[in-house]
Amino acid sequence: MSGLDGGIGDASDWEGIAREAALGLRGDGRVEPASVRELLVFHLDATAYALPVDCVREIVRLRELTKVPRAPSWLLGILALRGEVVEVIDLRSRLGLGASRLDRSNRVVVCRGAEDRVSGLVVDGVTEVYRASEDLLRPASGLDVTMVSEICLRDDQFVSLLDFERLLGLEDV
Amino acid sequence: MAARRSKRKGAQSSDPPSSKTSASDGAAAPNDSDKREFLSEAGEILESMLGDLSELREQDRASTEVDPDLINRIFRSAHSFKGLAGMFELDEISELSHRLEDILDGLRLGKISLDSPAVALLDEGVSLLATLTAGLDVKTASSASSEGKARELADRIERVISSPVTLPGEDLDGLSLDASLLGALTEYEEHRLRESIRRGRHVVMVDAAFEILDFEEGLVRLSEAAREVGELISTLPSPGDSPESEIRFSLLVATELDAGELSGRAGFEIAQIQWVSGQTASPAPNEEASPTSEEEASPAPDRASLGSFRSVGETVRVDIRKLDELMNLVGELVIQRDAIGGVAQKLLGETQTIRIGSELAKTHKMLDRKLRELQTGVLDVRMVPLRQIFEKLSRVVRRLRRDLDKEVSLEFVGADTELDKLIVERLIDPLVHVVRNAFDHALESPSERVQAGKDPEGCIRVSAFQRGNHVVIEVRDDGRGMDADAILRKAIERGLISEKDSPSHKEILNLVCEAGLSTAESISSTSGRGVGMDIVQSNLAELGGMVDLDSTRGAGTTVTITLPITLAIIQALLVGVEEETFAIPLNSVLETLVVEPGEIGHSEGREILNLRGEPLLLRRLSDEFEIESGGRDARQFAVVLGLGEHRLGLLVDRLEGQQDTVIKPIKGPFQKFRGIAGATELGHRGAILVIDVSSIVGDAVRRREAA
Amino acid sequence: MHRILIVEDSPTMRSLLSASLEEMPLPTKIFEAENGFEALRFLPREEFDLVVTDINMPDINGLELVSFIKKNERYASLPLVIVSTEGSDRDREKGMALGADAYLVKPVDPESLREVVADLLTARSAPSAEG
Repeated sequence: MSGLDGGIGDASDWEGIAREAALGLRGDGRVEPASVRELLVFHLDATAYALPVDCVREIVRLRELTKVPRAPSWLLGILALRGEVVEVIDLRSRLGLGASRLDRSNRVVVCRGAEDRVSGLVVDGVTEVYRASEDLLRPASGLDVTMVSEICLRDDQFVSLLDFERLLGLEDV
Repeated sequence: MAARRSKRKGAQSSDPPSSKTSASDGAAAPNDSDKREFLSEAGEILESMLGDLSELREQDRASTEVDPDLINRIFRSAHSFKGLAGMFELDEISELSHRLEDILDGLRLGKISLDSPAVALLDEGVSLLATLTAGLDVKTASSASSEGKARELADRIERVISSPVTLPGEDLDGLSLDASLLGALTEYEEHRLRESIRRGRHVVMVDAAFEILDFEEGLVRLSEAAREVGELISTLPSPGDSPESEIRFSLLVATELDAGELSGRAGFEIAQIQWVSGQTASPAPNEEASPTSEEEASPAPDRASLGSFRSVGETVRVDIRKLDELMNLVGELVIQRDAIGGVAQKLLGETQTIRIGSELAKTHKMLDRKLRELQTGVLDVRMVPLRQIFEKLSRVVRRLRRDLDKEVSLEFVGADTELDKLIVERLIDPLVHVVRNAFDHALESPSERVQAGKDPEGCIRVSAFQRGNHVVIEVRDDGRGMDADAILRKAIERGLISEKDSPSHKEILNLVCEAGLSTAESISSTSGRGVGMDIVQSNLAELGGMVDLDSTRGAGTTVTITLPITLAIIQALLVGVEEETFAIPLNSVLETLVVEPGEIGHSEGREILNLRGEPLLLRRLSDEFEIESGGRDARQFAVVLGLGEHRLGLLVDRLEGQQDTVIKPIKGPFQKFRGIAGATELGHRGAILVIDVSSIVGDAVRRREAA
Repeated sequence: MHRILIVEDSPTMRSLLSASLEEMPLPTKIFEAENGFEALRFLPREEFDLVVTDINMPDINGLELVSFIKKNERYASLPLVIVSTEGSDRDREKGMALGADAYLVKPVDPESLREVVADLLTARSAPSAEG
């Protein structure tokens, strides 16, 4: 398990993080007490966000995407991944924070939700897998952003835990 | 009694039986995949019950003797349904189907007559079952009330049936039947035996022996022959003279024929016939049995009907999902095959590796050949004749015929035409819709027809045939036809077209498929078509097909549906526009042409090309997909697309070769793709968009552009 | 390894019967036949230790199958379990009269099925079988 690194994902960290996320999914025999949640933490600029590790399938570098004509601006394109063709979405744009400037440092967090819904989210970087005890989480009521379900305290930082289903659910933004 | 096809499910291969080794995981409790299995089997059972019930009513109305096999079949459906529901602890459903089963059991055992009030409750019961089953998937507000109704109906039935009358049994002991045979008859079979005797029929025992490892064919033929002469009450197997290699079957048959007629009859040469009753109960002179000669069948005219009977039996039920997985696997193999080909080419290019390269190239060629065979084989498995849809359409019309007061004859042509199973499954709804439309709206009442000088009986003809890489299905009626003027008026009213446009007759008719129009009530009653046609069209478009209407006022309407034969692995033409590459399914491509800018003409605001004297409508792919395009001045290529009778020349910058591909759905939150059928993966090039030919051609054909 | 043949025409029921038997503490290999014909074809090809059959099947019904098995020297000692609906008392009587070893009523309780089958299988393989 990585320590509370806080590093802004550079290339070497990223492999380890991806491996961890995958381990979290496969379940390497560790039994987690119910009150600990495993979150994949990533960031847009300096703001931290997270998704439950269960829904993260893999993390890949941003490569050339095939563009889709007449698509909304937040749909950056499609990517062929392990036999599936998956939409890649600009998370920043999806959250209403403007369009992303893309370069090789971006990462695509590929998520799988209920009923085989898959999507890739483009983020600025991936930080770590954070095991948060339940008492560090509180509901995000009162906030304006509809896609954030909870807020998590990590060191002295607030991490917005995103609701993947809601991220995918809105068809026309 | 006419020969009847018994509904037999079963894998009939000579392979070893399916087996499972004990596993330590998974309890016997139903899970999601069990539920799917239940729903699919439940749906099939209900389907056939409804059809059989309506058949039953018809037979009863025609006041001929109702076919006991039919009643038994419905009984067995209810029985299976009850058992199914019971295993999943679906109480209301189980309870209700139990009662229905009771009614049917009473019917088939002669304890209840067809006039009994209980029989009238059968219809209601089955409909309720259907509602409840549908409600399993989606719990709606009306589910609770349906459950209440089910319980109520179950009670009602119970009260009506209460004490069934047991008819005095005919004495079976007086028959010269082996006691052990009698001992193996079920209650139902005993009843049929008694009933046959009561009706004065002759009962015979038809005995034949077959090879133990291969008895199926011979037995099936014998059973068919038996059904042709009467009722096959029971089939009893027993060990043959040499039990290691022989098996004997004794068929108990009730017939109105007598000894002379029977023994000379084709199909019975291999059997010994023994009279059980109705004659002098002593063996009549007949042919010798030849145990191993079941292969020498008579060249009887029965052969043809037997042949079709056999093909019903020689099928295997397969889950479409498994077919899809297979298809996908083959698709992946194809991609790998191409990659291997690429490596072989590279090796051939260097002198050091040229020898290895040529070995690899040879292997690649073999692999290619075998893979193509596999591809064809798997595709073939997916192909299914349209016959099943036609049967369903018959049932639909039969039901409608009862409810509305119209006479119609339903004709089918081309039941053997085959389509991909996936398409067939999704074709059923829109096709039923179209036929129902024809019946409801297009056909006039008998009196109206006579007034118009037509035969009082209307005619709906469904024909299917293959045309190149497509299958065309035509639904033609001789009803009142569509009122083009009314449609045009409504379309202008709804803003679908402007008054200045001058659409052709066909263009007006096809407007009915536009969403704004087809839901209009007034349109449906006057136009003779139209309700829900927009849904039919979008359903078909999803399958890569399209629908086309043609009609003559007063004479009738023809709905033409065009579908690609298969959705699975397709050959695609790769084209390039600016920096992007797209794939076009090759089966819609008629030809490709080089087009110089000067060759492009204009007509009514659209670009066209003179192709061998005919104008070809053009569409630039860069316009279609809003891709910034440099020049209208450079040479282009026109990919001529054909769908049904429509032609469109799609203009692209480059032709980049052909490729075998599997079209995959694009997964993600955005699904409103226009003009795109999916995507495919091309080795290291990544994902390539596949063009939806039907929507692009459809749009272009319907588009009206300002001059 | 005990080889069990299940004869049942409803696919869902068949897979549930199968699943129930796979849960047995004894090592088993389960074969499925969709109807009497299939059962008749499988019998000569495998050495079965037990047969579970439905009664109400088209063409060759369960009683006829039981009768055939019992009349045949080779299979006569096969333990037979009939699984069928409650309504037919007569069918059940006939089944037992023909020589079936047990009769279970649908919907079958997986535990009961396993108990009955386990008993029959262990009795069969015990050296001093008959009692």
